[in-house]
Amino acid sequence: MMTELFKREFNALWHSPWQLALISYIPLIGVLALWWLFSAGLPRQLPVAVVDVDNSQISRMLTRQLAANAVIAPQSYANEAQAIEAMRQTQVYAMVVLPYQLKKDLLTGQQPTIDIRYNSQFLLVGKLLSSQLQLSLAEGLTQVGQQRLLLNGANKATVDVSLSPITNQTTALFNRNNNYVGFLVPPILIALWQLLSMLVFINSLNQELVLYQNRYYFPKQIWALIATKILFYSPIMLLHGGFILLWLYHYLGLPAAGALVDLMLAQLAMLMALWLMVLVIFTGMRDSARSVSFCTALFAPAFAFMGITFPVNDMPLLAQWWRLIMPSSHYIDSHVSVISYGVELPHVLGQISGYWGFLLLLPFIVFFANKAKDVPKIDLTSNDVNQELS
Amino acid sequence: MNLWQLMLAEFKAIFADKAIMVTLFGGVLFYSVLYPLPYLNQVPTEQQVVVVDHDNSSLSRLVTRHADASAKVHILANLASIDEAETWISEGKAHGLLVIPANFRRDLLLGKGATLSYGGDASYFLIYSAVAEGLVAAGLDASKQVQLIGLLARGQNPQLAQQSVNSININSVPAFNPSLGYTPYVIPGLFLLILHQTLLIGTGILGAGQWRRPGYWQHVSPGVLVFARLSVFLLIYSVFSSFYLGYCFYWYQVSVAATIIEVGLFMLPFLLATCALGIVFSSLFARRDLSTQVYLLMSMPVLFVSGFVWPIALIPEPLVMISQIIPAVPAIMGMLELNQLGAGWLAVMPKWLQLWGLFAVFACIAIMRVAARQKQAKAMLS
Repeated sequence: MMTELFKREFNALWHSPWQLALISYIPLIGVLALWWLFSAGLPRQLPVAVVDVDNSQISRMLTRQLAANAVIAPQSYANEAQAIEAMRQTQVYAMVVLPYQLKKDLLTGQQPTIDIRYNSQFLLVGKLLSSQLQLSLAEGLTQVGQQRLLLNGANKATVDVSLSPITNQTTALFNRNNNYVGFLVPPILIALWQLLSMLVFINSLNQELVLYQNRYYFPKQIWALIATKILFYSPIMLLHGGFILLWLYHYLGLPAAGALVDLMLAQLAMLMALWLMVLVIFTGMRDSARSVSFCTALFAPAFAFMGITFPVNDMPLLAQWWRLIMPSSHYIDSHVSVISYGVELPHVLGQISGYWGFLLLLPFIVFFANKAKDVPKIDLTSNDVNQELS
Repeated sequence: MNLWQLMLAEFKAIFADKAIMVTLFGGVLFYSVLYPLPYLNQVPTEQQVVVVDHDNSSLSRLVTRHADASAKVHILANLASIDEAETWISEGKAHGLLVIPANFRRDLLLGKGATLSYGGDASYFLIYSAVAEGLVAAGLDASKQVQLIGLLARGQNPQLAQQSVNSININSVPAFNPSLGYTPYVIPGLFLLILHQTLLIGTGILGAGQWRRPGYWQHVSPGVLVFARLSVFLLIYSVFSSFYLGYCFYWYQVSVAATIIEVGLFMLPFLLATCALGIVFSSLFARRDLSTQVYLLMSMPVLFVSGFVWPIALIPEPLVMISQIIPAVPAIMGMLELNQLGAGWLAVMPKWLQLWGLFAVFACIAIMRVAARQKQAKAMLS
């Protein structure tokens, strides 16, 4: 009985080019393309307009200081108007104005102002440039200060300390060089993986709908069919999930503090939660086009709710609740714990128990499914091909 | 059947189709609320930070208090060791730590200098940058205070001392999105993408549903059918666009720089090209739900390749080249330059012309594809 059902499932898969694509080359292309997009990893050589109105030794030294920073690629502009124009056209992401008589003001003890404008419409790039520009300029200006102190006859040993008595040492924990591949690509790929799994499962379920007098019903052995599909598609999608992990943490060698096997377990739990959600929608709607549309609408924004780009604590309460509905947000918590903090299996199991809420969906599935099995007296044990899907 | 009757028939076909209505009206309305929802608080504030204070002096407590005073950082607890801080962070209770070394105050008073260490959880970049900015600012502030005290102790004139501590002002100001808010950053690009995707799905469902059934679409010439379909979707989407780019931008406080005429003029080829592309693809779909699935999988790559999340200069050249044929890609960048950065019409002219070019190509292919579908249908009937 079971082998027969599996054979049937395999045949259905084999004869559906779209389903085959969804479990074979589409995930591969998607994963590799999205990784390729971010493969630069570290933002480097971002163009910055430098307007040097002073054109003195110090202002040129500061420009060189900027050029020495890997993130910044200074480009000379003759005046502010041109630089502003370039910034509006996204040719440069920030501009630095070294004011007229910068050197004179510095030497005569006035307080000159160096203006930085950065493009915060591109938030990530803008913030990065703002901090890097300030760092580089401060470094250059310390040298100027050093010279002045030495000229004033200060002791060489005390110069450094009196310029900056407290040194700052900032460490980016768990992602030392602020690599975007390690930060952004895993959640994006998980979001993609969730979408793919959802589509594969709902498509496969939709094939079982039986049309009778303009209404859809379920065949009698719907429970066995659902069980078969879960047993059949879970390993396939898990294989893709495993591929994502292997690709990122073995082939690309991104640092992973914990064991990937624990994450596979978390992925399995996520799939189960996802299947339950899809089953509720499927049994509740019983219409292929509508259930696909609904699932799409539901799962498309999952990435925004993961809390990787924007922290969960700062989301409004409603968003935090909505986040709990998404299986991917539960998974990504385990992902970060294992990859960054290197937590052990018991902790991961604890996180997995956080999926308990999805079990509340079970009664609904049973209720909807049983309701739809009451087909008006016709034999529906055979698998009629859904006309909508033909 | 004249053009008006045809357009009326198109309207009827769209409004009678539940799946299209759900995607178009439901999707556009639902997403206008759901997508910005996580970002409504705009900036991450009060990130949980723990302090490991090995010094426990008046100065170290001052640094801690100053860090806590920063809007970006909330000091959660004072722990005994770095190991303990590590467990707090790995349990997710804290996202950053500040380590004050032993003899911090003493070393500073002796003029030896000291090092403050900060750590932030870089698994989350916004959290990390908030923690780092908050703590560095507090550290710099303490540093200046120590400098000032030192100078005053050596008998400096207070005014001069102030000046030599702040010998230069670095005035770093965000432009175009002055609040550094997250919704003004995400929404302009994202909403254009939503318009793009729902329009593609709408035309896809409509087309895929029609080709297999006899209907009004067979009785008109392919050119007229494409023209009517473009006009109908353009009418519907001019309403959606006004809602998104008008009301939603206002509601979510997105900065707006262009005039309404410029925005309308730029949206015109974008919507036309997207709709024409939708008709082309719709002729390839045999199943109604297939278009939804294909476009769903496409949406994330299109979003990231459009260049407002990750700078275009860092995206591999081949991907950028290929992506240029997707109307959303030039449209998102052009619209950002026009409407958010205020680049002026001349600057976005090339992208505008590119969209018209895309429209011309897609429209020609669409007419050819519709003609082919009509022939197929005729052959099936006869």
